[in-house]
Amino acid sequence: MIQPRAAPPVADSGGVAARRRVSDLEQWRIATFHQLGHYFRTNRFYGLLGFVVLLSGLTLAFEFSTGIARVQFTQLYSPSEYLSNYLVDTGLFVVLAAAFFGGDALSVDFSTGAGYYMLVLPIRRPVLLAGRYAAATLVTAAIVGVYYLFGTVGAVYFFGTQRIPWELLVESLGIAVVFSLAALSVAFCVSAFVRSPSAGVLITILALYVGFTTLQATLELAGFEPWFSLSYAGGAMAAVLDTDFIHLQAVPIGEDQYYNIWSATVSEGVAIMAAYVAVFLPLSAVLYQRKESTG
Amino acid sequence: MGSFEVSGLSKSFRTGPPALSDLSFRYEGAGAIGYLGPNGAGKTTTLKLLVGLLRPSRGHAFVNEIDPMIDRKGALWDVGALIETPEPYPTLNVQEALDVVGRARGLSRDDIDREVDRCHELLDLPPLDLRIGWLSKGQRQRVALAATLMGDPSVLLLDEPTSGLDPAERVLVRRLLNRLKRDHLVFMSSHQMFEVTEVCDQLVFLNQGRILLKDRVDRVSDRIRALQVDVEFERPVAAEATAALRTIATDVVAISERRWRISFDGSDQNRVRLLELCQGIGPVAQFSNTSLVLEEAYLELLSKSASEA
Repeated sequence: MIQPRAAPPVADSGGVAARRRVSDLEQWRIATFHQLGHYFRTNRFYGLLGFVVLLSGLTLAFEFSTGIARVQFTQLYSPSEYLSNYLVDTGLFVVLAAAFFGGDALSVDFSTGAGYYMLVLPIRRPVLLAGRYAAATLVTAAIVGVYYLFGTVGAVYFFGTQRIPWELLVESLGIAVVFSLAALSVAFCVSAFVRSPSAGVLITILALYVGFTTLQATLELAGFEPWFSLSYAGGAMAAVLDTDFIHLQAVPIGEDQYYNIWSATVSEGVAIMAAYVAVFLPLSAVLYQRKESTG
Repeated sequence: MGSFEVSGLSKSFRTGPPALSDLSFRYEGAGAIGYLGPNGAGKTTTLKLLVGLLRPSRGHAFVNEIDPMIDRKGALWDVGALIETPEPYPTLNVQEALDVVGRARGLSRDDIDREVDRCHELLDLPPLDLRIGWLSKGQRQRVALAATLMGDPSVLLLDEPTSGLDPAERVLVRRLLNRLKRDHLVFMSSHQMFEVTEVCDQLVFLNQGRILLKDRVDRVSDRIRALQVDVEFERPVAAEATAALRTIATDVVAISERRWRISFDGSDQNRVRLLELCQGIGPVAQFSNTSLVLEEAYLELLSKSASEA
């Protein structure tokens, strides 16, 4: 003991006298908005948004210039089919957003000084993780929402407001959000495991896009249903709008030889996505909780 | 009243020797404790263990009686920690970077504004609307210090708090710490001996993960000085003549032909015996504790520890 505290509680330096306890829920909200404020000012957010806008805009511009004949030529006679076809690429944007916003969400604490700022605050790490996860989900959903908006504009242009399957469109958007949750769970897990932020982003893209797609194609070629693949599950985003949905398609590739292509049903897809969240999110929390600031 | 304690604390990493070995100390109340040691002594590791950024290999660390490994939120509730180089997100501005700390520590909007004003005044913060990414290293360090002080936590754990600051900023921070230590418990690591003697009441010397000495600042130099005596003979003395001293002394070094510095265990009994032996060699003009200043004492302690190792 060195000496008793002289005159508590007001400090000589004029500090505040009292603080109230903050619940985990409130700290989660604080962490979410803190992370959102960061994301909305990053180049990667505007870069990805610009990429989505550019790609979607060019697609629409091409379709608008060629007219309805072009849309019908590609055998898309209904708004459902049109939207289903358009939304096939949603998975790519979700994976990119998950990698950009989740791939370094946790590793940043152990590779830069960010951890020495945030991890010394009286916030439990799982709460911090949950806040960042929520923020990353919102930002990813915003990117996906913009992509859906362009698709909807195209559908309205060609088919009119009356014929748009709004309920199915919202359902598809809901599935896209669940897919984002699953992709972000994987990205957060990678981020909790690696130390380098850029490695986290790269590994996430490689795993979710290249890895799963390659694995899926290989398994299908070998005649197995890739039921555990997240990219396979992601097909449900478009499948929900597909009026001619086929779960298993056999494409002839030679005499008595077929290449089987599986498409996840909506329930199957959502179940796979939920399983990814259930496995990878708690795993991220455990890894993040145990990770040490050795740098 | 704040407190912190380490009990039998050890930390080893995958490679290299143990970073900390069986460290134990406890401080409570108000005041400033200086944590001194060369690079790699284990100072930052200790601070990281206190705030739960590292897991102990053995033993425990407690802040305000709570183990951060068990209850991080509870342990850090009344603690401000400045460790390594904290960096808020570069995209946020100074106000936002401080807001998140204030809100996480349970301050109301009004209190946050008041605290930001107080820190602005104490630390001469950069403009609040300036983005962190645009700040100089010194400005960032002052923002990090302000974040440490937000909410006026009773325990302040500071890892080289003046690192990256210019001389004027260092003076500012030292003055601030001298004010804070009156009603806060400040634990600061430093390489700057003068900084520690200017701010701290107590010292903990650390080397190679072990405590070499801990005591009040004024007593530390006395204790170290007591381990050595300077003898001045009236006439020059040959080295062979001092051989008798080595029965007690751990080291005998010639400063000049007449002046010799003798290291020993510091006990009163051996001090008397040494004087008798010196008088046996020749007439003694002066026999006194060395005039080491704290910095020399610190270096002496380190070299002694290295030779023992």
